[in-house]
Amino acid sequence: MSETSKSVPKIQRIVAILWPSFVVSGIATILFFTLFDPVEIIACIGGSDISRMGYYSIGFFMFWLLTSLNSVLTCYFLKPCSK
Amino acid sequence: MTEKNTQDVEMTPLEEVYAKRKKIFPRQVTGIFASLRFSGVMILLGIYYLGPLLQWNGRQAILFDLPARKFYIFEWIFWPQDFIYLAALLIIAAIALFLVTALAGRVWCGYACPQTVWTEAFLWIERKVEGSRASQIKLDKAGWSWAKFRLKFTKHFIWLSFSLLTGFVFVGWFTPIAELSERTLSLELGPWEIFWVLFYGFATYGNAGWMREQVCMYMCPYARFQSAMFDKNTLVISYDEKRGEPRGSRKKGSDYIAEGKGACVDCSLCVQVCPTGIDIRDGLQYQCIGCAACVDVCNEVMEKMGYEKNLVSYTTENALDGKKESFFRPRVIIYVVLLAVSTLALLASIAQRVPLGLDIIRDRSSLYRETDEGMIENVYTLKVMNMDLKDHRYSLAVGGVEGLLVKKPNKGILVEAGTVVTYPIRIQVNPEYLKAASTKLIFYLNAIDDDAISIEVGGRFLGPVFN
Repeated sequence: MSETSKSVPKIQRIVAILWPSFVVSGIATILFFTLFDPVEIIACIGGSDISRMGYYSIGFFMFWLLTSLNSVLTCYFLKPCSK
Repeated sequence: MTEKNTQDVEMTPLEEVYAKRKKIFPRQVTGIFASLRFSGVMILLGIYYLGPLLQWNGRQAILFDLPARKFYIFEWIFWPQDFIYLAALLIIAAIALFLVTALAGRVWCGYACPQTVWTEAFLWIERKVEGSRASQIKLDKAGWSWAKFRLKFTKHFIWLSFSLLTGFVFVGWFTPIAELSERTLSLELGPWEIFWVLFYGFATYGNAGWMREQVCMYMCPYARFQSAMFDKNTLVISYDEKRGEPRGSRKKGSDYIAEGKGACVDCSLCVQVCPTGIDIRDGLQYQCIGCAACVDVCNEVMEKMGYEKNLVSYTTENALDGKKESFFRPRVIIYVVLLAVSTLALLASIAQRVPLGLDIIRDRSSLYRETDEGMIENVYTLKVMNMDLKDHRYSLAVGGVEGLLVKKPNKGILVEAGTVVTYPIRIQVNPEYLKAASTKLIFYLNAIDDDAISIEVGGRFLGPVFN
């Protein structure tokens, strides 16, 4: 492990991945579902009948998954290259 | 700083999730700032837990009804179309925070931040169960016994119950809480409601019970950039080094000046009360959330010693250096102007808001159709949203092309309060008047009983082009 990642507490490293992605996925969820009503989208493409609350929640966690993937990659590329 | 780094490196091999952190047991403090924080905590928790119970015209006064896609705030109902107001409100809140920070430093952190508020509540519970700072430390050091288990169990049980209540009330801001309570009692909560009660409850328990000051240090973006709003006239909590040093213990009533000592008796109470575990005498640190617990406790000590108060105090860098302080500086004036302009703009636009929405959706199945009479016809679906508190009948007019015919109802479109009506219409145009494949149309919609409620929305008419 590199010097920098050693000097950063583990909790801070976990938080650096999960927390910014949580905040951004919250913003993304608000913007996305303000523009699009999930019930209408599902009515168009045909799908199961989950409540709106369910679609919002699934949407939020999908966004969180994607944004944390982004954070993980950022952290990964921050590591110095091995020779 | 270098000292801190070596500490971190030394402790790394432990690799504990929450660690490299000594648990902080903040000592209870009394005084003017502690009372201020207590009132802040009570008011904010009161708003949070009792807010959803407020009623207005037979419904929940403040309800962010996500399942129905409507926000109720007293007399107002906001729709997804009104998103811009929410964005404006957030901008105003951010500028207000900048202004407060420039003037008074981190008062937000010390008195109003939810992290502080719930941590205070959890600390209060902890003290009620486990006793004072000294008994808490003793209890944590002691081996496991029945008595220790009982105390720890009680504490976590109360913490978890309180967190569950918090999670329940959280969901109650988004779905009507009366109905939610009924369904809870009859065990008919939906899976997503249960999920969010648990999720928010768990977040409360984790953040206020376990993470505490680490949230401020590692998770809070504001804690990182607040120093950008600081200047030499910003209120900060500061130790008067000139007066305090050299610190040292002494007998009460002894002439410390003759002994060559400063006013600081080195009792370490300021460190014991600090919720983030820092020593304010080391100077301003980013971990300091400006709660002023050290100010309160030091003043108590100074009073007992018969010394002048405010060895640790809210003060500004300029005051400490004996320079002139200024209140109205460019930074403050800019924030005030921005705040005033954005607030007025928001209020004005809400006052002028027309409670009517119109979406025009062109029929997707065909571009256009030629009728038997040789006219070009387009089909649209109108979605008329009545965002007002009473029913309205609306009349529709369409313009944009000469000789345009609208096949629509004569009596207007009736839409009940707070509902959406979808309405199909057909528009016919003589192809002679069409100059392009796509022509802009304007749809005018106005309430028959109220001239103030009218909007116009653009649409497209597609047809063949004859050159």
